[in-house]
Amino acid sequence: MKTIKTAAMDADTRAYHERFMRDAIAMAELALKSDETPVGCVFVKDGEIIGRGGNETNRTLNGTRHAEFVAIAGILEKNPMGVLKETDLYVTVEPCVMCASMLRQYGVRAVYFGCWNERFGGTGGVLNIHSDPSVDTPMPVYGGIFREEAIMLLRKFYVQENEKAPEPKQKKTRELKTEIAPTDIHAPKS
Amino acid sequence: MSTPDAAASSIEPLGIVARRGQLLPLKTKDEVRAALETYRVYVVEVPAKHANAVKDVIQAALPDLRTSDFGHLRRVVQFKFLPPHLQKTFSPPSRLPRGDEEEEPNVSEDALAEELDAVRFFLVSPTRYIQHADLLLALRQKPPFDIAAAPPRILYATVPALAPTSAEQAARWSIDYWPIAYKNTNPYGPHPSLVTRNTAEIQDEVGHWLALAKATGGQICGLGLGENIGCVVVDKTSSVSKVIAVTGDCRWRSPTGGPMPKEGHGNVMAHAVERAIAMVAKKRLRVARTDPNLLDRQLFCDSPLTDLERHFFAMDNLLPNGYLCVDLDIYITHEPCVMCSMAILHSRFRRCVIGRRMPLTGGLSADVTIKKDNGGIKPGNGLGHGIFWRPSELNWKFLAWDWVDEDNTDAISSIKDTMHV
Ligand SMILES: [Zn+2]
Ligand SMILES: [Zn+2]
Repeated sequence: MKTIKTAAMDADTRAYHERFMRDAIAMAELALKSDETPVGCVFVKDGEIIGRGGNETNRTLNGTRHAEFVAIAGILEKNPMGVLKETDLYVTVEPCVMCASMLRQYGVRAVYFGCWNERFGGTGGVLNIHSDPSVDTPMPVYGGIFREEAIMLLRKFYVQENEKAPEPKQKKTRELKTEIAPTDIHAPKS
Repeated sequence: MSTPDAAASSIEPLGIVARRGQLLPLKTKDEVRAALETYRVYVVEVPAKHANAVKDVIQAALPDLRTSDFGHLRRVVQFKFLPPHLQKTFSPPSRLPRGDEEEEPNVSEDALAEELDAVRFFLVSPTRYIQHADLLLALRQKPPFDIAAAPPRILYATVPALAPTSAEQAARWSIDYWPIAYKNTNPYGPHPSLVTRNTAEIQDEVGHWLALAKATGGQICGLGLGENIGCVVVDKTSSVSKVIAVTGDCRWRSPTGGPMPKEGHGNVMAHAVERAIAMVAKKRLRVARTDPNLLDRQLFCDSPLTDLERHFFAMDNLLPNGYLCVDLDIYITHEPCVMCSMAILHSRFRRCVIGRRMPLTGGLSADVTIKKDNGGIKPGNGLGHGIFWRPSELNWKFLAWDWVDEDNTDAISSIKDTMHV
């Protein structure tokens, strides 16, 4: 199953999805304000947002605290696991390989994302974890909703990071960050 | 205290006995591909003294030919070095003008050997570069094939498409395909010397850590909170190994803390690897004098839940200023799922050992499984992701090994083969 580009959608359908992507972008902006890689997401069930999340990797020192994990942790505090099978994800950047696998294991109904993630993308950007052979059913994925806005937020983050760069950081961290680009998580090449 | 003793002293007081066995480096995605791909090549029989002239003819006829693309294949080969199946098809050599025509024609066995000595088998190019007829035409232009009586014999061989990744593989291919040159490098995975060095560095301790991983998985499974899966994170940057985190799988733990009904895959985020990574992060926050429970959430299950988990979590044994899981090793009872494999990569671990492969769900192995006609999959060797070593696509890589128990007692508790570890 190929990742579908949302440019092909009719106006009404696109408007429906754009509404939720706006909320995902708001979460990404919030992440940016907390010095996190600006990636945000919302989970939608029956036309209602049931969970929100933004990246928390920097504050937690945990490279796996992506927006999708944060949102699902919130949702499952109040809902049974099965609810995710009737829920769609809207996320500003294509889910990484890790998140794509997690979403498919939970059985999330569909994924809508903004820009592609050419470094770690798990739903077409690098690997196809949503559709590759697996014990789980494939997961439909649609990409390209407010792509430019998502990229712009990531650019802002790089600028913000570079401005802070002169202040002394732990040597190891700094070396790694320059070697591997400003951010390892959810960073498209474009 | 030597390192294995340190490992023993970490687990023996806990009543855990080390497993005995061997490490097997996992094959990378490219290594698997390299071992499988072949193509056809043209081979021309040439008089030994004309080998260089024919090489020039080919170079002129095929200006786009990049011989470096098949640098692993010997270009000019003597009959005696051909693999047996090619010796059979290529023999006997044709009589070509060699400048020794005045000698008596001879048909003895010695003479045949001499004939064979005087010819070379020249690997022209992969067949995709030129059609048979055009190759014939090109060869006919120059000596030794420019006289009517001496038409070239154009032969075929199947060869490995990519360079070998070990001396053993090169030797095997030289018998199965075509004489191979091995340059003691591995363009498709970690350099052999790197693997050897790292294997030597950890092998005396692996049995200890895998036993500890199993024990911790067993504890939490015993509480009904998860599957029989566990992992151990070790810092082996100094001479004495330090256990940083020990966790079990926690997928059946409800938001309120008790066991929950086993539906679907349970709480995916509570896999042992995810919990271990979270506990390393919490230790880092603690070392940095920040609240370790910052942004914590029940569903992550990243607080210690059993005696074993608490025992190792309580130790403040991480150096300050570390970054994610850089320089740390992770030992897991089973091959981690795709999510956890990528979590290990995101966290920049150094080395990973798995106690058992999971062909239907594992993310590390690069071996490919067999697809069923109905689109499903049946047990094979793996899903083919090979997430630990894909440097051209993912920006981190680490060494990974499978473990084979010596006494074959299946010391590892078996879990369903459709389970995500
Ligand atoms: Zn992710
Ligand atoms: Zn997992």
